[in-house]
Amino acid sequence: MLDVRGLVKHYQVGDGEPIRAVDGVSFSVAAGELVALYGPSGSGKTTLLMLIAGLMSPDKGSVLVGGNDLGLLSDAERARYRLRDLGLVDQSSDLLPGGTVVQNAALKLLMVERTRHAHQRVQPLLVRLGLGERLDHRAEHLSMGERQRVALARALSTEPSLVLADEPTGHLDSRRGAEVLALLAELCGETGTAVLLVTHDPRATAFASRVLELRDGQIVESATGLPQAYAARPGG
Amino acid sequence: MRVSNIAHLYLVRLKSRAALIQEIFAVLGISVGVALLFASQIASTSLNGSVAQLATGVLGNSTYEIKSRSSTGFDQSLLGRVQRLSGVSSAVPVLEASADLIGPRGRAPVDLIATNPRFVKRSAGPLLRHFNASQLAHQRALAVPAPIAHDIGVGPLETTKIEVGGRLTHALVAAELSYGSIGPLVNAPVILAPLAYAQKLAGLPGRITRIFVHVRRGARARVHAELLRLAAGRLNVEPATFDARLFAQAASPINQSTITFAIICALVGLMFAYCSMLLSVELRRALVRELRRSGATRWETVKTLLFDALALGLVSSLLGLVLGDALSILVFGTNPGYLSFAFPVGSQRIVSWQAVAISVSVAMLAAVVGVLTPMREIWSRGDGRSGIERRVIPDPWMLLALTCGIAFLAGTTAILLFAPQSAVLGVALLLAALVTLLPALVDAVTAAFAWLQRRAGGARTDIAVAELRASGNRTRSLAIAATGAIAVFGCVAIQVAHANLEGGLGRLVRQLSQAADVWVLAPGQQNTLATTPLTTADRAKIAALPGVRAVGRYRAAFLEYGARRVWVLAPPADAPDPIPPSQLLGGGIAGATGRLRSGGWATLSQALASERHLHVGQRFTLPAAHPISLRLAGTTTNLGWPPGAVILDGSDFARAWGSGAPTAYDVMLASNASASTVVGEIRHALGHQTALTVETERQREQTQLAISHKGLGRLTQIAILVLVAGVLATVSSMGASIWQRRRRFARMKVHGLDTSTLWAALVWESALLLGAGCLAGAVFGIYAQILLSHALQAVTGFPVIISLGIPLALGSFALVTVVAAAMIGIPGYRAASVAPYPHP
Repeated sequence: MLDVRGLVKHYQVGDGEPIRAVDGVSFSVAAGELVALYGPSGSGKTTLLMLIAGLMSPDKGSVLVGGNDLGLLSDAERARYRLRDLGLVDQSSDLLPGGTVVQNAALKLLMVERTRHAHQRVQPLLVRLGLGERLDHRAEHLSMGERQRVALARALSTEPSLVLADEPTGHLDSRRGAEVLALLAELCGETGTAVLLVTHDPRATAFASRVLELRDGQIVESATGLPQAYAARPGG
Repeated sequence: MRVSNIAHLYLVRLKSRAALIQEIFAVLGISVGVALLFASQIASTSLNGSVAQLATGVLGNSTYEIKSRSSTGFDQSLLGRVQRLSGVSSAVPVLEASADLIGPRGRAPVDLIATNPRFVKRSAGPLLRHFNASQLAHQRALAVPAPIAHDIGVGPLETTKIEVGGRLTHALVAAELSYGSIGPLVNAPVILAPLAYAQKLAGLPGRITRIFVHVRRGARARVHAELLRLAAGRLNVEPATFDARLFAQAASPINQSTITFAIICALVGLMFAYCSMLLSVELRRALVRELRRSGATRWETVKTLLFDALALGLVSSLLGLVLGDALSILVFGTNPGYLSFAFPVGSQRIVSWQAVAISVSVAMLAAVVGVLTPMREIWSRGDGRSGIERRVIPDPWMLLALTCGIAFLAGTTAILLFAPQSAVLGVALLLAALVTLLPALVDAVTAAFAWLQRRAGGARTDIAVAELRASGNRTRSLAIAATGAIAVFGCVAIQVAHANLEGGLGRLVRQLSQAADVWVLAPGQQNTLATTPLTTADRAKIAALPGVRAVGRYRAAFLEYGARRVWVLAPPADAPDPIPPSQLLGGGIAGATGRLRSGGWATLSQALASERHLHVGQRFTLPAAHPISLRLAGTTTNLGWPPGAVILDGSDFARAWGSGAPTAYDVMLASNASASTVVGEIRHALGHQTALTVETERQREQTQLAISHKGLGRLTQIAILVLVAGVLATVSSMGASIWQRRRRFARMKVHGLDTSTLWAALVWESALLLGAGCLAGAVFGIYAQILLSHALQAVTGFPVIISLGIPLALGSFALVTVVAAAMIGIPGYRAASVAPYPHP
């Protein structure tokens, strides 16, 4: 589903050496597969996600989603890709604070289907995410964890072929975090959605079929289960 | 934290583009308010100031003046008797007459002031003292202020035409008076001439209209008594400041209207300024939270905010004063004209320090109140993360706002019913009601729209509703709605009240003009109210023309009655409606008309009758040249002349003025005659040399309507100014709001939302906010104009037709909404075109 081939992105800051944010990264994620990507701060995770989301163009290499090269798409086509084929979840949930849980969760679906049934269609998903009692509550009145679950519902609402999840459980307690990740894995399995999960939580990797470690812009380890370096950390 | 640190922090914050643009929008909003306030104050002070300057320029430090009660003056032999009075140090004879100066480029109505240089001493004002310094004193020529000379196209040693008392003469301009010689009086509508020459021009040989008397210290009471003895009840003896007082009284209704409108401008300006500050509240809330988290004390936080207020207030004040000054030149630069029939009103712009101080204070007040709005954050103990939840307005607050709003409305209604003269307070209460009820109205409109869009809407309307309901946006949304509401409120209140006043004056002018089919009178703007006596005997020539059925003698004059320069008019005996029916306020029209025709009766304006506690049937004395005792036949409006009017029978008028000379001929046509043909015949009969003008009823109506319209010019200008400021303030606040939205748009685009969806959502949101605000403004504006119209009627005595003015209200509503919406379309699209950016 997702093929990343020789991806390079360098930044020039001042007159110094260019920063090699992403430096020849290649990997793939199959449909229905959940891949965890971890790495220390500044390792290039965010730049990699932006390149895969089509928010940034690579200096070299290509990103193929469902066989389509993002580099060949226009701005409008990339926007359509993010709307229909991509679900993006990050720590800042980006909800409309005055919108209800249903309105926020259905926003993308409403853009795709352009019918009011979108509001009904997202409700089962919200119930599965534990928000059944909060459907008509405004986003600004929700806890951070609840907001993150609404964002997850919005990302999954269009049944995208790829989900990019950047620390989606960052604001959740461990029990709720585990529940959400289990649900994410289950939903993606059901719909055949590929998931790239960026996380610092070692427990999150338990839900991943593969774990990639990114360091200094390069994939340094690719394994199933928790990488050694991560497992060796105290509390890891 | 030291002031230098606070200043440094402020400058550092301004390096952020978002913060800088927010501050610029706030400055623009406050500046618009300050400009509106400052310009309207200049308009108000300039009117009174110009006459006061002229009075001082002529009178200097004279103590008393003896004044004629008619334009024909009194014998100048009185001067010698005044000079011989013990205690009089000097006495200056003056002849003053209304005149029109005609040059190649046009004509200018002026006040001809003449004296004998021999008598001018240091006691006279700078204008009269100019006689000493000029060769003019020895010439048969005029001295003309440079602006007037320029306007009509004459220069020194060139010949011009002058019309005085219906006589047209050629005259030489000996000197142009410049600013260097007479200061700001250069803008006064006066011309100077030696006394003997002016007497010849006016056809008044040996006559003067005033004597200025300078009294030695300690002799005031004695000299005053002696002057009264010499006046013998046929001349007025007044303190030297009397003319300025007369004008202040005459201008009072216009001033009251202008001041009422100006205060509304001020309230509107203050609200604009405050609303602009509300737009940057979120920015300052974030600053407060950051400062408190960084360990700043509450006082240090308050000091930081106050520094913001000081910086914003000062910059806004400066910009607002510059804008206001420009507005006062561009918009208020014309002579008000309306009172110039009886007073020399100049076009000077007088900028008082009070106007500057008030404008700066309003800017500072708005800035301080605006920056201190997030005060709750300063006193909160939390770290601010749950601020969103706390900002939701609790129901008790909404209930309190609703209660206050209804109470304010009740207060306004009480003022309308029982004390319409307190219109300013009523309008202030109405504005308070508008602002306190607006949140509930915006919520109701949002709820109604949300209900509708649940059935038929899409992502665009979903986003619009969500943005409107977000409590973090609430202050900003309410500020925008309030700006729109106040803009429309101000426009509707002022424009409709103005239209009501203009409608009333128009009806009056039509009724007065219809008294004759053709008017023959002395020309010139100074004679708009037909007060110049006709010195030639042309009645027989006109009556002999075949198309003429009758020629009536119309008489009118200005008379100083107490502290008022009133308009006294006596329509011809056979005039169908000597009292315009729509203008009668007290007494029956049939009874009043019958009594007037029988002689010995007169009507007075309501204000004149009230001042003297007179009721219909009671007797009073009219202090004309030959005082006459009359009985009150009825009370009227002021007939469009602010100080008031008196209507009496022609024979009573002739007795009181000691002259049968008419001031106009009212010509009635034969049944088959055409007005235009008869006008031509009359002109032919009068000959080419005549200085008289002949007008049909329609022409006279048009001339008077034009002058009446010019008289209300200040109010028209203020109405336009409020409209322009309203649109600007609304656009400015929407601009600030759009700018704040860019970051969220960038985040939403990450999820695939496109430019058109975001732009449409923004347009929906703006339309709802502006629609709700402007509609509320229009409804409250209609209420305010009813209050203002009643106040104008009650306080000024003007004839006012009170109407709801719904078409005008709808026009203002549509104009502000559509212009503001159109002007936010492009910046809105630019904001929605922002590139997707994932980081908050």
